[in-house]
Amino acid sequence: MAPHKDTMFRSADMSLTQLYIANEIGREVVSGLGELGVMDFRDLNSETTAFQRTFTQEIRRLDNVERQLRYFRSQMDKASISMRSIYDFNNQFASPSASEIDELSDKCQSLENRISSLNESYETLKKREVELTEWRWVLREAGGFFDRARGQTEEIRHSLDNDDAPLLQDVEHHGQGEASADRSFSVMNIGFVAGVIPRERIAAFERILWRTLRGNLYMNQSEIPEPIINPETNEEINKNVFIIFAHGKEIIAKIRKISESMGADLYSVDENSELRRDQIREVNSRLSDLASVLRNTKSTLDAELTAISRNLAAWMVIIKKEKGTYETLNKFSYDHQRKTLIAEAWAPTNSLGLIKSTLSDVNDRAGLSVPTIVNQIKTTKTPPTYFKTNRFTLAFQTIIDAYGTIKYREINPALPAIVTFPFMFAVMFGDAGHGTILLLAALAMIYYERPLQRAKLDELFSMIFYGRYIVFMMGIFSIYTGLLYCDAFSLSLPWFKSMWAWDNDGHGPTASRVEGHTYPFGLDYMWHDTDNDLLFSNSYKMKLSILLGWTHMTFSLMWSLVNARYFKTPIDIWGNFLPGLIFFQSIFGYLAFCIVYKWCVDWAARGQNPPSLLNMLIYMFLQPGTLEDPKAPLYKGQATVQIILLLMAVVCVPILLFLKPFYLRWEHNKARALGYRGIGESTRVSALDDDEDEEGRTLNGGRESFGDDEDGIAMITQDIGHGEEHEEFDFGEIMIHQVIHTIEFCLNCVSHTASYLRLWALSLAHQRLSIVLWDMTMKNAFGVTGIAGSIMMVVVFYGWFVLTVFVLCVMEGTSAMLHSLRLHWVEAMSKHFIGDGVPFEPFSFEKILEEDPVE
Amino acid sequence: MANGWAPIIGLVVVAVFCGSAWFLSPKGENQTIWRSTLVLSAAAMYIMWAITFLAQLHPLISPIKGNLRPEVDT
Repeated sequence: MAPHKDTMFRSADMSLTQLYIANEIGREVVSGLGELGVMDFRDLNSETTAFQRTFTQEIRRLDNVERQLRYFRSQMDKASISMRSIYDFNNQFASPSASEIDELSDKCQSLENRISSLNESYETLKKREVELTEWRWVLREAGGFFDRARGQTEEIRHSLDNDDAPLLQDVEHHGQGEASADRSFSVMNIGFVAGVIPRERIAAFERILWRTLRGNLYMNQSEIPEPIINPETNEEINKNVFIIFAHGKEIIAKIRKISESMGADLYSVDENSELRRDQIREVNSRLSDLASVLRNTKSTLDAELTAISRNLAAWMVIIKKEKGTYETLNKFSYDHQRKTLIAEAWAPTNSLGLIKSTLSDVNDRAGLSVPTIVNQIKTTKTPPTYFKTNRFTLAFQTIIDAYGTIKYREINPALPAIVTFPFMFAVMFGDAGHGTILLLAALAMIYYERPLQRAKLDELFSMIFYGRYIVFMMGIFSIYTGLLYCDAFSLSLPWFKSMWAWDNDGHGPTASRVEGHTYPFGLDYMWHDTDNDLLFSNSYKMKLSILLGWTHMTFSLMWSLVNARYFKTPIDIWGNFLPGLIFFQSIFGYLAFCIVYKWCVDWAARGQNPPSLLNMLIYMFLQPGTLEDPKAPLYKGQATVQIILLLMAVVCVPILLFLKPFYLRWEHNKARALGYRGIGESTRVSALDDDEDEEGRTLNGGRESFGDDEDGIAMITQDIGHGEEHEEFDFGEIMIHQVIHTIEFCLNCVSHTASYLRLWALSLAHQRLSIVLWDMTMKNAFGVTGIAGSIMMVVVFYGWFVLTVFVLCVMEGTSAMLHSLRLHWVEAMSKHFIGDGVPFEPFSFEKILEEDPVE
Repeated sequence: MANGWAPIIGLVVVAVFCGSAWFLSPKGENQTIWRSTLVLSAAAMYIMWAITFLAQLHPLISPIKGNLRPEVDT
């Protein structure tokens, strides 16, 4: 296999390789290959479940470490400590040794214990602090209640004795009875309960107490001005202090129970004001002690987290890589003695040298005498499709991959799409001014590529940023097409001498041609702001889109020839490509020719009215052999040529329909007649019976037979066979397939040509919209002079610019891009795209980190 | 000035450009991308220019001045 360069034209040449790795260095080898990222490992244990695999233990352990790291992360977020960015690390996280991983896991374990114990004590302390704070509030507020209540003992007593007295009489007459202020509650056998309750519960609390105690209580409450923070949930709660006086032990016990069930916290308060003052003092000193302890705990925790934050990103990366390594190792199988690991992987043939050198490097470092063996094995399995992309081609490749995975070694439609995609866009978006905006935006994104890649972008912008090179190409082509359309922000660009001169000394209204002069580049600027510019530009743009569509489709159709030649299936050339091409060209190629021909003839000099091309095409189908106006043909012998073309197109349909299926059936029957059978069939041909057919096998040449020769069973390999199963030959299925293909192709020739008219429609809409925007804003602003005019100019200019960017560039640009996308996916790719490839998914640390970024 | 031969001259120019782009593209793994992009761009731009040029070679209608205001024009 001569190694040739892998290009973007076809997917990279792949080989299935087999690796024999000594058990001891399995991990090192795989992580070395992960750094390379060029091997797509096949799962050799697909029949075993995830739990039965060899390295499940290790993965579980790593999962645990990952959980601990995430825990650190969440704690850091809680303490608002930022992680050191992944980009601040100098080394590229060289894969660590197994002992380092063990160390890391132990370290994480101890750190987790330490942090969680610190957290726990912090939370307990915080709870204590809250309790003390609440108590302090109770003590402070209760003092007021006591002072007020003491004055009313007489009334309370009185009201207790007198059933007829209103219950709240005391409230109505307070401030009386100062004389009895010194009488203690205990003397009266009045008890009290003090505590704190959330504010939203207070109403319910009051009602319940009132009903259960039948009003035998005296309750006082006040709001705590500052919210209390719950340390468990970190929520702020507004609370009230309450104090309830009641008569009798039973009732007091009842009140206690009710308040506890309502979620109130009760605190003991002494009724003696002296003692209360002492209590407050004590609480205050305890609070300040607690605050200092809290501060210490917090700072220890923060210091610990800061220390972790310095390395956390690196640890996360290391653990992710390690996990990926073990997940890959799980795909390997063992030999009989369990001494070597056997792996199978797809790798680009050109990277095999690199792989081998990496493997020997790993071996040398490990100092192992047993080398890692790399075998290339031949197989009938479909290799995966892999394109090496760079910054420039990535977005284009993504566009094509979004439609379908390209077949292995098929033409890559992304290569021509680098030009055609932005070009089709530009035909619809043609405006030099808007193109410049696009180009500048793209250049800015390319210039600030690095910082933007690292920054967190919102969804829309990150999409635009991903396609920055597409936008770049779009900008360039839009400027070009804008120049051709002679539009810059809907204004004309008078760069060359016009081919028209106004009659009547430049007053018009009509114009006449400057003899022998054609405007050299793009549309003549004189058409701007004329009465009939739409008439002219519509005719021009419609024909432009037909011609571009025809060119694009013919171009795409040619790729199917290249594909058929590459895959050595001549039947696709004779049965699909050629009749299709003739069909398409004899109708739409002829139309394209007529358009150009009609332009080239000087009808005025001939003194003839040119025939309408639309009617010509209709007559060609409906009344073959007749013209709309037989006296004025487009050219001599037009009717005959059209009959011949039509016949050619008609003849192509049955060829397209029948040639390929019948050829395949003939080929299949020939092979069977020679004694070959598909391997799925029950009648197997043994080598003994087969001796005389030895020649037949070589006749089948050109195709490799990867049969198991010892069993003497020949295997007819076909390109369509995937994996282990070969498709049975089924004529009916092939016929149906071909009928669908034929109908689709013939109808699509018409509908796809019509579909390219969107180029005209979109460019017309874009141009009109920008003219309307200009006329409604800037044109009015130019009309006003003086200072008012300048102020208006500035304001209007901003409005115009913002609308230009958002409506004309972003919105219109998006729609033009989607239309261009459709033209590529449907109109162009349907002509040659085979698809049904298997994407190449290499085991690569870079990919793992991209999919699940540490940040 | 520009006459009917312009598209042919343009074709020659573009062909020369495409030929030189093919051979002068920077060597290396991106050579294919350079070649295809340059050649296709030149072809696409030429086709569009040629179409625009041909459409005006023998125009069937001539411009009629819009926004005619008699008080200005007389």
